[in-house]
Amino acid sequence: MAKVVGIVNLHSDVTYKGLTEKRPVASVSFLGRYGIIDFVLSNMSNSNLDTVGVLIKEKPRSLFKHLGNGNSWNFNSKSGGVSLLYNEKYANNPMYNHDINNLVENMEFIQKSKADYVVIAPAHIITTMNYADVVEAHVKSGAEITMVYQKIANANEAFVGSDYLKLKGKQVVEIKKNKGNRKERNISLETYVINTKVLLKLVDYAKKISSFFDLKDTLAYLCDEREIKAYEYRGFARCIDSYDAYYKVSMEFLDMDVNTQVFKSGWPIFTNTNDTPPTKYLKNAKVKKSFVANGAIVDGEVEGCILSRNVVIGKNAVVKNCIILNGSKVSPNAHLENVIIDKDARIEKKKELIGEGEPLYVKEGDVV
Amino acid sequence: MGKEIVAMILAGGRGTRLEALTAKVAKPAVYFGGKYRIIDFPLSNCANSGIDVVGVLTQYESVLLGTYVGAGSKWGLDGNNSLAAILPARERGEVGATWYAGTADAIYQNISFLDQYDPEYVLILSGDHIYKMDYADMLAAHKAKGADLTVAVLNVSLKEASRFGIMNTNKDGTIYEFEEKPAKPKSTLASMGIYIFTYKELRKYLIQDAKDENSKHDFGMNIIPSMLNDGKTLYAYEFAGYWKDVGTVESLWQANMDLLDDKELDLYNIKKDWKIYTEDTLSKPQIIGEEACIKHSLVTQGCIVNGDVEGSVLFNNVYIGEGAKVVDSVLMPGVLVEEGAEVYKSIVDEGVVIKAKAVINKEAKEVELVSDNSR
Repeated sequence: MAKVVGIVNLHSDVTYKGLTEKRPVASVSFLGRYGIIDFVLSNMSNSNLDTVGVLIKEKPRSLFKHLGNGNSWNFNSKSGGVSLLYNEKYANNPMYNHDINNLVENMEFIQKSKADYVVIAPAHIITTMNYADVVEAHVKSGAEITMVYQKIANANEAFVGSDYLKLKGKQVVEIKKNKGNRKERNISLETYVINTKVLLKLVDYAKKISSFFDLKDTLAYLCDEREIKAYEYRGFARCIDSYDAYYKVSMEFLDMDVNTQVFKSGWPIFTNTNDTPPTKYLKNAKVKKSFVANGAIVDGEVEGCILSRNVVIGKNAVVKNCIILNGSKVSPNAHLENVIIDKDARIEKKKELIGEGEPLYVKEGDVV
Repeated sequence: MGKEIVAMILAGGRGTRLEALTAKVAKPAVYFGGKYRIIDFPLSNCANSGIDVVGVLTQYESVLLGTYVGAGSKWGLDGNNSLAAILPARERGEVGATWYAGTADAIYQNISFLDQYDPEYVLILSGDHIYKMDYADMLAAHKAKGADLTVAVLNVSLKEASRFGIMNTNKDGTIYEFEEKPAKPKSTLASMGIYIFTYKELRKYLIQDAKDENSKHDFGMNIIPSMLNDGKTLYAYEFAGYWKDVGTVESLWQANMDLLDDKELDLYNIKKDWKIYTEDTLSKPQIIGEEACIKHSLVTQGCIVNGDVEGSVLFNNVYIGEGAKVVDSVLMPGVLVEEGAEVYKSIVDEGVVIKAKAVINKEAKEVELVSDNSR
């Protein structure tokens, strides 16, 4: 059997405003008990990859803590594991801090793995992709590089700023940016299967073309001279590429028809765990259409919300369409609508907070 | 250098009064409080008290319990200097195959395990009590008093005292007499089954007790009386806090209900940082549907609630259908309450399906244990 290693590529320009001020997109809390990166890591784990490298772009502290030794995702077999690949040399040098340079710096990870193929996937595109299927198609096609895409009919709203592929049969002939001016596009999910030897050469080659070329640029540059195959993925995919998208996609999950596409049997989503007690609903609790993580204490009205671990909703508070992260406390009788509250914040004095247009953001640890 | 203290958890009991709940699992492995098993409490107390070598003595249905405890990683006891060791009744070289004949005999049969760590003190615990306790405080008291044995006691009401082993004490807290379930109690200090022994003394008394053919090999009935007889220093350490022996279906239900009231056991570390560690299951957050109504309840991850839940404890992956009503009940993992069904004052065992429109225990006088799908 061919050996495959996974690489989670955290190099991207995606940010979520305040949520990513101190942490990378990958460790932003999502759906109450996950980090954004849990989905791609779970897909890799469920696809039976046991060696995974994470290309870290910046702000690694929360990520180191979240990932630990990787055994929450079952990457603890003694022959595999999670490697955190960080390129300290260019950490403060944005133009040079890209995935190609990170791969150059951490090339030993790939060389030592003795893998035949490398699967590269981003964290901010949420899918339930089985990479084993993609690898199988890649091997069968005899391609050196396979790019995964999804055919979407709402490219005017979703994946704006992502790349789309122009195809000739199953071959990628051009890679361009989706400007949102058409509905139907073959959107790149920034997920690739590349023969290890080809990847090693590609990295060298990229540096020769331009020191500022990242993997995306390099593949776009190469697609007319090298054969790049396209693989169509038809499953669930959402691109969380902005603060707004983070809120919208989170809220979309409250719909059972959406969340059952991701939380399905045989495809567990793993995360690290915290031994938090069950959620306690007190006598004044009135909760509807919400996701609630463990450890919360709820004594108010909650509708259309995502509550993370250890959130406290005080007596008779009203909270609607909000995302409240770990450990934040909402005082009794407060009224919140359309608000994102970061971790460990307390809503005490300003008891009426209503987000107009985009959701209002309360910073980590703030008292308002 | 030996360990200062090693804990031994007696986890071999069947708990027959828990009826079907212990048909296939030992009592310490019974589910409690929405996501725990009973043994999580003494194990977490050990971990939080800085006790890092814990022996777990198993006998009845030891496989599930042994797998659950594993090497102790769930409680952070799997480091280089720490360990949770499963000590089942077993075949041993010098004596052949034996069962644990009593609480003292169980420890006696594991003297070689204890000797290996050469502890100064041994903490004996029961695997089936619900409480949070800092054993380090109790050890400090044991040392300060220069006791040979310290017994943790709870001040119960005079009415309840006849159900417990009662320690009769002098003013200075030393024990002069032990009475098992006295008809006319002289004191209300009930033994919690938590002992700290100075190991040198414990070892001596266990060996002596093992030779006595008339002994029941029980701490309460044999070891404590002989130590009192010999004039050893036995000291009662009074514990003020929530403690419950969940030996019956009724008391297990009550202990779960106690969690709903803020004044009882503090699982949320509001007063003190003292987490109860357990197995975290792989489940999504709980999903509360559009028509749901949840009040005065504990609900854990993986649950999907579309109906009414009041005064209840829901373990992971419980499903409540639309129009269903669950009142004053404990629903173990994976219970499915179908549309329009009603459940009152019940403990519903793991994986049981309550059929659509079924009504369980509407009179709600006694606690009902629902352990099969027949209804």
